Amino acid sequence: METHAGDFASLLRAWQAQTGTTLPLFAPPTAANQQVEGLEVHGTTVIAVKFKGGVLNVGDRRATAANAVMYDRADKIIPLDDYTLIAIAGAYGRAMEVVRYLRHAFKYYARSQLQPMSLDGKLQEVSRVLASNLPNALSGIGLFIPILSAYDPDQDAGRIFFYDASGARFETPDYGAAGSGAERIRGVFDYIAKTKGAFSERPLEEVLHEAVLLLDIAADLDAATGGIDKVLPTARYVNREGVFEVPESTLREIVSTLRGG
Amino acid sequence: MLTPYDFQENIQQRAQYIRNRLQAGSPVIGISYENGILLLTTRRRGRKVFEIYDRLMLSAIGNQADLETLRLAAIDFAHQEGFVRSPDDVTVQRVVGFALSPALKKAFGDPLTTPFVVRALFAELHSTPERDMFYILNYDGEFTPTERFAVIAGTSTAEEQALRYLSTTIESVPTFEKALPVALIAWGIAREAAMQEEAEPIPESRARERLREELQEAQLEVGILERQTLRENRFRLVPAEQLQGYLRHL
Repeated sequence: METHAGDFASLLRAWQAQTGTTLPLFAPPTAANQQVEGLEVHGTTVIAVKFKGGVLNVGDRRATAANAVMYDRADKIIPLDDYTLIAIAGAYGRAMEVVRYLRHAFKYYARSQLQPMSLDGKLQEVSRVLASNLPNALSGIGLFIPILSAYDPDQDAGRIFFYDASGARFETPDYGAAGSGAERIRGVFDYIAKTKGAFSERPLEEVLHEAVLLLDIAADLDAATGGIDKVLPTARYVNREGVFEVPESTLREIVSTLRGG
Repeated sequence: MLTPYDFQENIQQRAQYIRNRLQAGSPVIGISYENGILLLTTRRRGRKVFEIYDRLMLSAIGNQADLETLRLAAIDFAHQEGFVRSPDDVTVQRVVGFALSPALKKAFGDPLTTPFVVRALFAELHSTPERDMFYILNYDGEFTPTERFAVIAGTSTAEEQALRYLSTTIESVPTFEKALPVALIAWGIAREAAMQEEAEPIPESRARERLREELQEAQLEVGILERQTLRENRFRLVPAEQLQGYLRHL
């Protein structure tokens, strides 16, 4: 029997060879791809900030294609396993396919090898799948940028990593953001960190409040960012206990405080 | 004189060989309870209860290498299907009936290959305990679906005795706290019954004694799939400290 040593990509390639089909994830770019540009749905602003003991992710719910709002209930912050969150900005279809792949890849490794994939192994897997997506991204479709937030048991702390389209990995010490609205608010992160202290030293409740405010500002400055009023943003966090979703009632309270009610 | 190859005799010999080797295996008890489903057994060396997919787990008696082959084949099939189609399409019925059973049957019937020495119990979690499923997969590829609870043990009389105990003890869907002590006794009954020649009923006291004796050398292992959980993974092994609480009242 063939063994794949926990490598999900290898398992899928064996399946492809056996069935004679090609999964979209492994399909090379074609000329037809060029015409998709402008029709492709994009996710916009996602934010990752540390708090004491973990990392919080907040994202708006808007997905756009050119200047049309395609969807206002998109979920761009997704748990990959019990200790990892991914936040995505950019081509929504391709990103969701990759997220589905990563969720399976991490679990496949853990279940077959009887030990969880190391944090570095997970980060490497994300690099690998982004690098293999590069030909598509260069042909004009499927470009997306993920931010990976993880709880690192060795350091007993949250960690944030972001990537470029070619799979290069960078670690950020305190916060990160991606998507069309992210550039506009970079200075605000700095201002908050310099006046109120590093995010990583502040409690979750405070950081959550700051993150929702940051998203609100991004929506003010960027037409593609959905904001916090019409549909509540998504907020998830990861800490020593695992991955959790911030309940709607908490978010509604924060939004109403920000609106002076 | 050289006797001609007799298919029936060959099959019987293979079955007898496997049954002899399975007899000493540590039984596995499965019970579906309010907030999940559990598989309980003991181990001396490696792990015994395994996560296969989001809502599917496995434990078995038999040869370790054969179990490993079975386990990896199940995991490969489940993840392939879960990714290409949907996690909702990964069901115990498909994993056992389609991916595993024909391969076991082929190995068992082929006189030129070594048969699998394994008897496996799969547990599948659903939204309500009434819909939970157990599948027992035999070394010859035969499989049996059951509900509420299930047992695999070294002999068929041992399985019957433990099942009789479970069906008289479990009247309605139990809580985890109620299910675990019942599973412990059922384990003791199955183990004790598999070790003796005659099929006399095993009293609870003998079952307790057998379990206490076993735990001098072996460890208890309980895997669960949780129905309601905030965690991403529904599967986990119950920590030893939590199990100690139940063993103290044994």
